[in-house]
Amino acid sequence: MPDLTALGRALAAAGLTPARGLPDASEGRAEEAAVRPARLVEHPALETRAVGPAEPWPGVVAFLDGVQRHAVAAYAGSAPLILAEVAAGVRERRERVLRTAQVRRRRLALGRPAVLEIAAAALPDHDPVPIPAEEPLHPVRDLVAARRAVDQARGALEVELGERYLRDAPGWLVVDGSLSESPALASSPRALGVAKSHATLPFEGGDLDRYLRLPAGHRTSVFAPASRSVAPVYGWALRLWPWEGRDLLHGLVRVEAAPTEETLGLADRLSRWILRERAPLSTPDPRWDRLLYGIHDVEVFLRVGRQPVMISP
Amino acid sequence: MTAPDLPPRPVGRVVATELKPATPHQFFFWTATESPIGIGAIVRSDGPGRTVYGVVTDGFAYSDLVTPLHDVIGADGDPAAAQDAPTARAEIRLYAAAVLRQVPEEPLQPVPLGPVHLATDADVVAALRMDAYTEGERPTGVPVGVYRAGGLEAPVYLDADFLLGPEAAHCNITGVSGLATKTSAVEFLLASIFQTFPAHRGTVAALCFNVKGPDLCFLDQPTELSDEDRRVYERLGLAPEPFRQVTYFAPHKPDGVNLNTLRTHEALAANTEPLVWGLREVLEYAEVLLNRDDLDAKADAFIDFLADRVVGRTYEDPLLRDAPFQVETFADLEEFFRAIFDYVEALGRGSEVWKTHHVATIRKVRNRLGNIGTRSKGLVTDDGPAHDLPWGRFEDRSVTVLDVAGLDPLAQDLVFARVISKLREHLERRDLGVDHVMVFVDELNKYAATDGPESYVKKMLLDLSERGRYLGLVLFSAQQFRSQVHRRVVGNAGTAIYGRMDMDELATPGYGTLSAATKIKLATLPKGELMVRHPHFTQPIFVRFPRPAVLSGREGVARFPPAPELPFADAVARQLRALDPAVTADAVRALVEGRREEDVRQALHATRRTRPEGVLAFFRACLGRTVRPEVPPPRRGVPALRRAEDPYAP
Repeated sequence: MPDLTALGRALAAAGLTPARGLPDASEGRAEEAAVRPARLVEHPALETRAVGPAEPWPGVVAFLDGVQRHAVAAYAGSAPLILAEVAAGVRERRERVLRTAQVRRRRLALGRPAVLEIAAAALPDHDPVPIPAEEPLHPVRDLVAARRAVDQARGALEVELGERYLRDAPGWLVVDGSLSESPALASSPRALGVAKSHATLPFEGGDLDRYLRLPAGHRTSVFAPASRSVAPVYGWALRLWPWEGRDLLHGLVRVEAAPTEETLGLADRLSRWILRERAPLSTPDPRWDRLLYGIHDVEVFLRVGRQPVMISP
Repeated sequence: MTAPDLPPRPVGRVVATELKPATPHQFFFWTATESPIGIGAIVRSDGPGRTVYGVVTDGFAYSDLVTPLHDVIGADGDPAAAQDAPTARAEIRLYAAAVLRQVPEEPLQPVPLGPVHLATDADVVAALRMDAYTEGERPTGVPVGVYRAGGLEAPVYLDADFLLGPEAAHCNITGVSGLATKTSAVEFLLASIFQTFPAHRGTVAALCFNVKGPDLCFLDQPTELSDEDRRVYERLGLAPEPFRQVTYFAPHKPDGVNLNTLRTHEALAANTEPLVWGLREVLEYAEVLLNRDDLDAKADAFIDFLADRVVGRTYEDPLLRDAPFQVETFADLEEFFRAIFDYVEALGRGSEVWKTHHVATIRKVRNRLGNIGTRSKGLVTDDGPAHDLPWGRFEDRSVTVLDVAGLDPLAQDLVFARVISKLREHLERRDLGVDHVMVFVDELNKYAATDGPESYVKKMLLDLSERGRYLGLVLFSAQQFRSQVHRRVVGNAGTAIYGRMDMDELATPGYGTLSAATKIKLATLPKGELMVRHPHFTQPIFVRFPRPAVLSGREGVARFPPAPELPFADAVARQLRALDPAVTADAVRALVEGRREEDVRQALHATRRTRPEGVLAFFRACLGRTVRPEVPPPRRGVPALRRAEDPYAP
């Protein structure tokens, strides 16, 4: 094995930035990796700025996340039957303690309509979700389609719970991921999205360098992502932990908030709040550098509470 | 329970993992971080077809923190910042509970997963199997205290059949000194037994050895109790009152008239009696003295000879002297010894045996018996009859206290050995007056030490521990360090009570079955709380008992200060005043003036023993006529010769 330390020093001497590999789940859907240039809304050119010392979040705050799990349970001929469970939850924080405010779980049975029809009697508590049957049967392609449907179902649950929380409760809601899936979430003055993955990047060239080499405790100018999703949002990058010596994406999150003038005025303050959420660390999750503890807590809650995915006898 | 409106919400839930599985004897459950559960709490878990009662023996708390380093990183190395983290880490409170009882008992299975509730009044009864002896037509429950947890409170009862026999017996109390744990606990327990011991189980009395200070000197005097203590008494169904029938016995001081006790206040004299033994009483238990040295079987045989043939009888041996011997006192015995030695010396060189007993053996026995007379002056009298315990006349629910705190250890041993032996003899013959006697001995590690020499007292305690329950002779013992008491003595105690303990003591192997948390609780136990082991309880239980309704030693000495040691005549007057308050000191002084002290003591003992109507007249009669010593007239002397040649002559 080569001496990686020495190699790193040599690469640094050559003008490169040594790294240790991508942080877990920072690439998002790797097959969708792309640059979609965003529109800057805060400054004429992309700037980075220190947000100041971390400060506590005032009042009540809640965290929203969802989990999913799927597995091939059977075949009808060559057509797979996929069983899945999706869940979403909101855990609200009062006096430093998180308690469940909302939770919802669904069991899904995914497959071609003919497969679902055969399995229906054996799966009374599973919602049937048909996957397209226009294409010739290919089990792998069906599996990809099923996974996409599970993603959507989980996303829909998250949106449902998030919207309900913002409607019924007075606190801020921190969402794991993008807000742009829901107009209600995206336009709420009390919703904040924290995205950990960077498959889609908003800049290229020198701006991308500035974006990805953001120092710890700094944020970028606010921009409007060029999203394929349904609702516009404002966003900015925020570096939670120093990345030097690790990876460009280490500790880098994209923060999203409502596309309003108030957001522009609040960007620094919101960033300082998020910086404060670095503690406690969400270890042992490998995404600890970007995963807020509140989100981690919701995820743990959902995962331990889930039912095993299995066919009823 | 005292909180009937408490909603029956579970306080926890049983969990079992591969590393921490539930077993038939132990289970784990988690609770909210704020919960009334603590070490010693009794809980109930309901599973499918099975109810399990357990007592919490250990507790654990941990968070999802993988390594302390992550906390450091999250707080940027600043401990103050760690407190400011906006979200408290997920934290668990996990408790280990030892199974007290499973219903049904068979088949015995691992504890099922289920909700956990704090035990209610009925649960405590079931968990501790108290339903077997507190219900029905002939209950035998004796309250020992209240169990408390989470605002709930339930009485805890011991089974009299397992406390006083015949099923099991004896009670041993351990606790550090200075917190009144041992004395208070035994006082409360004796009071509880006296008030609740069922008539269908016979009669009961207590005999206590007061071995230090004024601890047990005021059992008949009431004390002020707090409202809380009174409430607990009421909860236990007991009356907060002192012992009604208490008699104190204490030896005299060496002067033979002042009592050697701290209970000498005149107001307490009515039931404070002297304990006086004569040669006969001492000789019966001379074995106590023998095993302290290397006296051999020959000496033993000679003592047996004295006891069987000489003491208390008319012994004739023309070789020693013409007149028969009538040995009743130590002085008579000394005269007897003198006669033997004179006889042997008269025989001349080579004759060193008298009636097969070597003269050296006789000298050893003489020295040893003389020694007890010297070291136990006040207990052992040489000039009068004995004043002993009321053998055969012990009364139901009576307490007899022997205050031996001021005695020489050898004399304490003698008192202990003789009293226990007499109790045993009378109980064997069923003529003591009661069916059960509880003997309370403090400082057991002194009398039955693990590594001490084999003594008569230790043998007697072992015998009492192992066989006493068949006779109704029950040992209530106490010590600071249980580990230093002979295993067979503490091991035979069916009931064991622990007050606050020393950590060093808890580190000894005898406490290996207790969890670390239980040990910590024992080491920090507040006054008035005890841990109780009892045959019906599968696990030790923590209870709180109220303050005994009697004056503590310290309070008693403050309220009834010991009378100062009086001159001989005044001390006699005080003792006579205990029989008749009209007796004046001046009258007694006038009577005893010029009398020999031995004669006065004899008259005093006779008066105390007889308890006549006219105390002073009887005392005067016992003293007899005053015989004035005649003063011989000075003899006329012969004048000294004056010699002229002596220049220094007068």
